[in-house]
Amino acid sequence: MAAYIEFKGVTKAFGTKPVLEGMDLAVNKGEVMFIIGTSGVGKSVTIKHLIGLLRVDAGEIWFDGQRVDDYSEREFEPLRRRIGMVFQSSTLFDSMTLAENVALPLRKHGKLRHADALVEAKKRLAQVYMDEYAERYPAELSDGMRKRAAIARTLALSPEVVLFDEPTTGLDPVSARRIDRLIRELAEKLGVTAIVVSHDLPSIFGIADRVAFLYQGIVHAVATPAELRASPDPIVQQFITGQSSGPMETPGF
Amino acid sequence: MKGPRKLIEGIGGGLVDTSRAAIELWLVYVGTIAGIIRGRRGGRPRGEIVRQMYSVGNRSVVFIIVTLGFIGMVMTYEACLQLQRVGIADYSQVGSQYIKLIVSDFGATLTGLMLATRVGAGIAAEIGSMKVTEQVDALRMSGVLPIDYLIVPRFIASVVMTNMLTTLGGTVMYAAGGLTAQYSFGVNPSLFYDLHLLRPRHLALMLIKATSYGAAIPVVAGFCGLRARGSSDGVGWATTAAVIGSSFAVIVLDFVISAGALFLFGGDL
Repeated sequence: MAAYIEFKGVTKAFGTKPVLEGMDLAVNKGEVMFIIGTSGVGKSVTIKHLIGLLRVDAGEIWFDGQRVDDYSEREFEPLRRRIGMVFQSSTLFDSMTLAENVALPLRKHGKLRHADALVEAKKRLAQVYMDEYAERYPAELSDGMRKRAAIARTLALSPEVVLFDEPTTGLDPVSARRIDRLIRELAEKLGVTAIVVSHDLPSIFGIADRVAFLYQGIVHAVATPAELRASPDPIVQQFITGQSSGPMETPGF
Repeated sequence: MKGPRKLIEGIGGGLVDTSRAAIELWLVYVGTIAGIIRGRRGGRPRGEIVRQMYSVGNRSVVFIIVTLGFIGMVMTYEACLQLQRVGIADYSQVGSQYIKLIVSDFGATLTGLMLATRVGAGIAAEIGSMKVTEQVDALRMSGVLPIDYLIVPRFIASVVMTNMLTTLGGTVMYAAGGLTAQYSFGVNPSLFYDLHLLRPRHLALMLIKATSYGAAIPVVAGFCGLRARGSSDGVGWATTAAVIGSSFAVIVLDFVISAGALFLFGGDL
């Protein structure tokens, strides 16, 4: 059976600097797949290709039986209703209240009227326990609250796939575990496929179905968290144990 | 062989990058015009044009009045001084020639250059910050066209307010010049404020120039903001590029429009 999402030989360079060099990865429907690796290895770059925020230099990307890497910007529009993304920083718009932020995709993608979109937005905020802050502006809230509101905005269109770019970075451990629980619930209760870019080891070992370890432009290993822990590969071991010395080459160090 | 090859590669690469940037700039311009036609369907926020008019126009009033007032004083002083130095004590033509120059060129162009620095830098910094913090990507994910949301309101506001500020700046320039001529060289105000050389074509030229500058500044600055990469250094680059690019656009447009007018009207301009 073909995978739900598939990256085949994806290559991407920024100027003369290669980032992805023939990367292959398959993600199954309904699973929580973590992409891990050192900073600058191309984790965020990988997921942005799926929704057309970046374009591949070579290779193919398939989603639900359709090749999507050659889509035009207009063709990506319906795809972005099915695939949502939670960005690394909250990316809420400062000039809008939380409810207006969440209502924006409902108005544009969902074609709801402004008033209806606001009512719906408040329901979405309630799902992440943020409904009492609906009329507040992003600048008035903590990082964790902003992150939750950003998740509510992403979930507003009930996407089939959600891409999380370092969702727990910068959060305290309690908020981070709440975000983890939310991701797990999305997969279990709503059948959402989640691709999570992260360095956060408690998240990885707590909620991942499978983990893809990106190293030197390719997927070096794909395994379940338990298999990853038991992996004899010294590079994988160095990463998950966080040792500064070892076989792993980290540019700039 | 390595040296010449590297040089050719460098020149070729530069040409390709410049051509690509020129095409992208053109696409931003076309996208902006298409965005105006699309109206609010493309995602332009409610009330944004008025907010941008305030930002581009009201917040530039003092800056434009002060700079154009001083330039007006210096220009008149220098003109009268030069006439005095060559032994022509007749200042009767200074005011009428001066207003012709302000209306057909200096009013719009100096206002355009001032706005290129103040407004151009602001637009590039704002859009550049949104770009590097992925807010522009978030707009695309929300089904909003970034050009419609970010550039179209600034474009409309800038076109309207550049015309208004040009009128205001030109008036201040003329008045400041008149006062300088009166108090420094004893020129009679009724002689200075003489509009008999002014023609409708000069006013048309002012409107064409102010509209062109008002259109060019947000497009160039918005384009630079959308090209910002990385973090704060990328925003810094975008801001600098926007000031240089939009000032350059004002000067080139001034040349092209003036040359066109000269071609049409010849010595009659």
